[in-house]
Amino acid sequence: MRVLIKIIMLVSLNLASLSAVADQQTLPSIQEPFPAPGFTLQGEDGKTYRLSDYRGQVVILNFWATWCPPCRYEMPSMERVWQDTKDKGIVILAVDVGEDADTVFEFTGDYPVTFPLLMDLDGAVISRYEVVGMPTTYIISPDGMVTHRAVGSREWDSPVLLDQLKAMRTPKYK
Amino acid sequence: MQKLPLNLVVPFILFATSSRLVFAVTLSTGIDEVANLPYWEIKGDGMTLRLVQRLPDQSRGFAMARGFTPEQAEVFAQSCAFQTVFKNISNLTTPGTLNYNLRDWIIYYQDKKRGMKTREDWEKTWPPGQVKPAAQLALNWGLYPTVQSYKPGDYNWGLSTFNLKPGAMFDLRVVWHQYDKQHEFVIHDVQCAPDIHPDPDDIN
Repeated sequence: MRVLIKIIMLVSLNLASLSAVADQQTLPSIQEPFPAPGFTLQGEDGKTYRLSDYRGQVVILNFWATWCPPCRYEMPSMERVWQDTKDKGIVILAVDVGEDADTVFEFTGDYPVTFPLLMDLDGAVISRYEVVGMPTTYIISPDGMVTHRAVGSREWDSPVLLDQLKAMRTPKYK
Repeated sequence: MQKLPLNLVVPFILFATSSRLVFAVTLSTGIDEVANLPYWEIKGDGMTLRLVQRLPDQSRGFAMARGFTPEQAEVFAQSCAFQTVFKNISNLTTPGTLNYNLRDWIIYYQDKKRGMKTREDWEKTWPPGQVKPAAQLALNWGLYPTVQSYKPGDYNWGLSTFNLKPGAMFDLRVVWHQYDKQHEFVIHDVQCAPDIHPDPDDIN
């Protein structure tokens, strides 16, 4: 009987560890990092944003749309990262694809985020990145290389992801 | 009946539960807790795929809100769409990239085989210029990627369309690749959502 109980306990532990896999937060690296294609886009706030202005910082470049459920799902955790790191070498540029300022502004009523929301009205920018589904988020290193890609939403302020992002910063911000 | 020695049984059970042997592909069905509509879900080694019925009215509303004409929205509404979620749930300690191509998937309907209606097929239905650019962009990005590669933790949501009439029942052969090996599974009796137009008197 004791042996049977041991077997059941060990099997349960094994299965529990397997099911936990689904909840792990990952930030997969890109096998061959490439220079981030530059762009200049208008923000929903009326400002102009140039990717090159953020050289020297880690850029979280997120492609999204208001009608995309997982895009909306990850917005609050991105906002928490923004609040924690905006002056510490990590910035977020969230590029809405195909929607106008009114639509994006309306979205911020339900999701009050304060990081830059850029508008890729004609999809020209997303077409220069290898995106096939939204949301897709690229991590751009301080020297302007695209080094990581996350397909699907993430809990961006989870310790495992945040530590990974902070480790990429230049010594100036550490 | 001869008893199996425990010193052999225990290691075997542990091996089986910690290795891929335990992962036969399994199918589950039920009502999606968010959409409140029927779903079909398969779970295999390091992957899950869930297809959730989508009412024609939902597709109609999506298309109209994105700038399609009522006629175009109707074509999309009648295309048998499913909310589709494909996830790579591989263990991080043994990462495996997962790939699929929707063109490999086969629909079995009334003794005939056919393919799904992909993004590229929709572009043929409405070439650039026939729909508003914003609508074209939304449709393109709203549809499930035709080809995708997922690393552990990656997943997509999107609409997959089967180009069948509302209420049609079909079988679907799903194909994916992982660990350089092809996997496939046939989901039987998947049903397109019926086109329900509730009578105003039926709504409380």
